[in-house]
Amino acid sequence: MTAQILNGLIVGSMYALVAIGFTLVLGVLDRLNFAHTEVFMFGAFAGLVAIDAGGIWWLALPFVFVVGGLFGMAVEFISFRRFEGDARITAALSSLAVGLVLIDLTQKVWGTEPVGMTIPGYVTTAGFELFGMRVVYVQLLILGVTLALMASLHLLVSRTRMGRNIRAVADSPAAASLLGIDVRRVTQDVFFVSSALAGVAGLLLAFRTGFANTDVGLTFGLKAIAIMAIGGMGDLRGAVVGGLLIGVLEALTFQFGVGKLGELVVWVTMILVLFVRPEGLFGGGVHVKDVRA
Amino acid sequence: MTAPVLETRSLSVAYGPIRALSGVSIRIAEGETVAVVGANGAGKTTLMKALSGLLPAQSGEIAFQGRSIKGRGPHDLARAGMLHVPEGRGTLGTLTVEENLRIAYDVRPARLGYDEATAAVFARFPRLADRRRQRASSMSGGEQQMLALARAIVNPPAMLLVDEPSLGLSPLMVKEAFNVLHEFRDRGTTMLVVEQNVRSALRLADRGYVLRQGEVIASGPAAELLADDQLLNRYLGTRTKEGA
Ligand SMILES: Nc1ncnc2c1ncn2[C@@H]1O[C@H](COP(=O)(O)OP(=O)(O)O)[C@@H](O)[C@H]1O
Ligand SMILES: [Mg+2]
Repeated sequence: MTAQILNGLIVGSMYALVAIGFTLVLGVLDRLNFAHTEVFMFGAFAGLVAIDAGGIWWLALPFVFVVGGLFGMAVEFISFRRFEGDARITAALSSLAVGLVLIDLTQKVWGTEPVGMTIPGYVTTAGFELFGMRVVYVQLLILGVTLALMASLHLLVSRTRMGRNIRAVADSPAAASLLGIDVRRVTQDVFFVSSALAGVAGLLLAFRTGFANTDVGLTFGLKAIAIMAIGGMGDLRGAVVGGLLIGVLEALTFQFGVGKLGELVVWVTMILVLFVRPEGLFGGGVHVKDVRA
Repeated sequence: MTAPVLETRSLSVAYGPIRALSGVSIRIAEGETVAVVGANGAGKTTLMKALSGLLPAQSGEIAFQGRSIKGRGPHDLARAGMLHVPEGRGTLGTLTVEENLRIAYDVRPARLGYDEATAAVFARFPRLADRRRQRASSMSGGEQQMLALARAIVNPPAMLLVDEPSLGLSPLMVKEAFNVLHEFRDRGTTMLVVEQNVRSALRLADRGYVLRQGEVIASGPAAELLADDQLLNRYLGTRTKEGA
């Protein structure tokens, strides 16, 4: 039982990492970036490139952070920059197409079958006992990296000049620009950070499963979008809490022998939460975004 | 006359097919306070937005400090010394009072250090000091207007544009807002003020322009416009008895 909860928290922390990036773009820029799930998917393949290049395996993490971030900036340029205001839906559809193209290109290069990822056995299989529960180092790695990234993001947004500018743009792009803030630059920053987190989450998932898989964007990644809705659209805290909650819920349904329900849990929870509380768990509370002009 | 800090020549601005400004030529000299007055919908806000780069000019010229600024974005102009306090104040409601000031301070290199600059703001507006760690949106409209005007204190601009500082404020706060603007003027701030509150604006200004349906229909020394009862009544719908 506790082992299942730990497992749930680990899966949930990866959900949260993907959801945070998605919700950040929405909360700050009022944009839905549907290529996000595929940047998450591609993170594992970018990691393969880094590891196969013969480097130290964990260097794949910063490499994927940067590659993911650059992908995000590319998506912003391709799908979002030309569309302002009312054309938001068009932009979202364009990003959806970019994501699907990314799946296809990845499959052209690596094939449709999952590709094995080799990282040292002392990470993937070795571990220790804790309160009668077996903890594998890769689980600690995933928790450690996701928590560190979430804490860093929190500090970035709340304490730095870049974060202040991000919140200013979330508040009102027009008012921010009159105060000398380059809204386009902030937009790029936000897409970079958002997608960098997704890329790292994708690599962490591959560390855990041992495979890079072109399906994960539409399975695992899409659930992160549901989690954003559950947590409250555009709310960072909501993404974290929602991710952990769904991770644990899924693990528990599995534990209680209703494993077949596993995939359904997140979608049913989303429907129920939104039915009862359309603004999501945290929506309407502390928020990165206010009513915009 | 000294070279103008800000000048437009035959400026036209449109919202799609709708012309909001036609052939507007105005100039604001160094240290001068200019008022643009006109009824609701005359094009005052449109003019301000075109000047600060929020709206593109359809035709005509805008020069800031002697150089054309057509096509330059608002953040770029803000960094170059333009401060546009927009209609509705443009304070960042989800940020704290202090963060609002910090962003206004950071816009361009300042003469004073940050602590000195904020001390000057808090000396003038003690209410803002009390509320420095609160969200700007938690303050009253009047306090938010003071926060917006405080931008001109925390890092003084080369050109201050103020759009309807009295909008939506209680009579007491309207008075207070104009007091602040009078102080700015006395300090030699180069300033363009747009107001529906015609008399207060003209009493503040050295010169004025009267805008009607997107065109300048009168201009001159503020005192002369203020004395022109016929103009005020016909185009601006102000009552003579309101003034002193
Ligand atoms: N975003 C907009 N789209 C279309 N027309 C607009 C827009 N904003 C203002 N207008 C029109 O432009 C004219 C001038 O408006 P505005 O500059 O706001 O006037 P003022 O500030 O003097 O009240 C008005 O007729 C108004 O309806
Ligand atoms: Mg107006």
